[in-house]
Amino acid sequence: MATIATTQIPQKRIGLVEHRDRAKRFFLLPAVVWVLAFSIFPLLYALYNSLFSFRFGRINEFVGLQNFGRLLTDANLHSGLRTTLIFVASTIVVQMILGFGLALLLNQEMRGRNVLRAIMILPLFATPVAIGYLGITIFYEQNGPLNVLLRALGIEPVPWLSNPFWALVAVILVDIWQWTPFVFLVSLAALQALPIDLYEAAEVDGASRFASFRYITLPLMTPTLFLILLLRLVEAFKVFDIPTSLTLGGPGRATEVYSLFTYRTAMRFFDHGYAAAQGFLLLVIVSVIVTLLFRRIGRLYDVES
Amino acid sequence: MLRKLSPTAQVLTVGLLIVAVAWVILPFYWAFLNSVKKPADTFANTFIPFLQFQPTLEHWVGELAIPETRQALLNSTMIAIGAATISILIGTPAAYALARFRFHRPSNRFLTTWFLSQRILPPVLFVVPFFLIMRELRLLDSILALVLLNATFTLPFSVIILSQMFRELPRELEEAAYVDGATTFQAFSRVALPLVLPGLVAAWIICMAFSWNEFLFALSLTTKTAIPMPVIIAGAEHTRGVQFWYVGVRTLLTLLPPTILALLAQRYIVRGLTFGAVKG
Repeated sequence: MATIATTQIPQKRIGLVEHRDRAKRFFLLPAVVWVLAFSIFPLLYALYNSLFSFRFGRINEFVGLQNFGRLLTDANLHSGLRTTLIFVASTIVVQMILGFGLALLLNQEMRGRNVLRAIMILPLFATPVAIGYLGITIFYEQNGPLNVLLRALGIEPVPWLSNPFWALVAVILVDIWQWTPFVFLVSLAALQALPIDLYEAAEVDGASRFASFRYITLPLMTPTLFLILLLRLVEAFKVFDIPTSLTLGGPGRATEVYSLFTYRTAMRFFDHGYAAAQGFLLLVIVSVIVTLLFRRIGRLYDVES
Repeated sequence: MLRKLSPTAQVLTVGLLIVAVAWVILPFYWAFLNSVKKPADTFANTFIPFLQFQPTLEHWVGELAIPETRQALLNSTMIAIGAATISILIGTPAAYALARFRFHRPSNRFLTTWFLSQRILPPVLFVVPFFLIMRELRLLDSILALVLLNATFTLPFSVIILSQMFRELPRELEEAAYVDGATTFQAFSRVALPLVLPGLVAAWIICMAFSWNEFLFALSLTTKTAIPMPVIIAGAEHTRGVQFWYVGVRTLLTLLPPTILALLAQRYIVRGLTFGAVKG
């Protein structure tokens, strides 16, 4: 009996693997077709559109690379790019420091951790437009809560939304509010997954708390921190919702981020070809930064098998 | 951390904790406060309903009586459910395929990266092509257009999150089903799928929250009948003057649904937002 069983099962398995080989494509097909239809095709269509000039929303004439040439000399676009870069750099630096710092502090046994986690989730999925909209009242200059608080502390009220510098600060603050919990939650999850015996061994060897942090925590957390940085970078470059609802890109162009400028080029001035070219420039900028920083993204996801 | 903190450090930690929690909670509370204050009480520094001021529901009732608001809430709901459902329906089989079958040319690694890389594409790049395509299809200002687009942009979430979950299932269960004569589809639908059901529901919820919050395409592609909540509120106060009470109501009406959804899926949030790279 035993010999029969061992000879039968492998045979059956060989047959099944081939059967699976035929079936596997059908599992993947809908998603691949969907992405080709709704992502790759529009991408190519945008590329096609970028070669034309538009008039009244209709294709007017073939202009070759002229729309891409305009990218080089458009001062408003450059100002949008500069604003976006300032936004990306400052939000990410502050979020990483605050989020990781807080996670380090709270990485210990404590009651109410689940409540804390739930509270930290609240901003993450709060509609960004709604938060920006609420910000109009929070940063309200006459008797808004923030200025009332500042006055109580003996600080001059700040012209939050009417001053170009402070308006950008307000946009940045809202984004920091929304995304610091993300850095915190991910860091904390990763910290708690670190092997505890390494810390025990270090303690036995008389390592200081700082030494444990420097030689155990930091090296082990580096991949996670890079992952967080990557995810934040990619998302931060897309910024649109908060400045659009909080400041409408103003005052002047002070908070007109790249995507808002491109949106206006497309939907207010119906300069579709040029807007498409702008979109590609943003894609190139993000891709270059991401590739330079992360050559091994795939390794963060164990997709070996 | 193993070592006990010194008392000073503990006090410091608790203090920071309180600051962090207050920093997160206060904007929500501010929105709530304004939504139940009479306009005359807006600038009075009162913070506790009933004790310091008499709360009112008139702004909630007033806002919910506006036909445009009710339509927008309905539109947002349909867009969120429709997009998330499509995303899960086509994402789950793909996730299973990436977790269980070996592909060559393109390899599993390439396919995973390909799905993931969709998130790098700036949405604003798609404003022009989607506008032109939807105009050709006569789908401008339609719920369907936003369902299709949000399904597309949430697809990487469902594919990657669920393929991580399928990968964590022991293969032996499906092997046993095969030995009993199950087809590939049966092994998937009867054995693997029920086991990842909690994760699948979480992924569905996360996709719903993202679709509800989406703003750029909603703004570009809707003009009247298909307008969802985020478009209703964007920029309204800049033209009408700031009415704190309505800002509070509309803010909460817009952000409470996705926030509550996220709390329901909280065990999977970290995993979801990192595409499964960090398990929360």
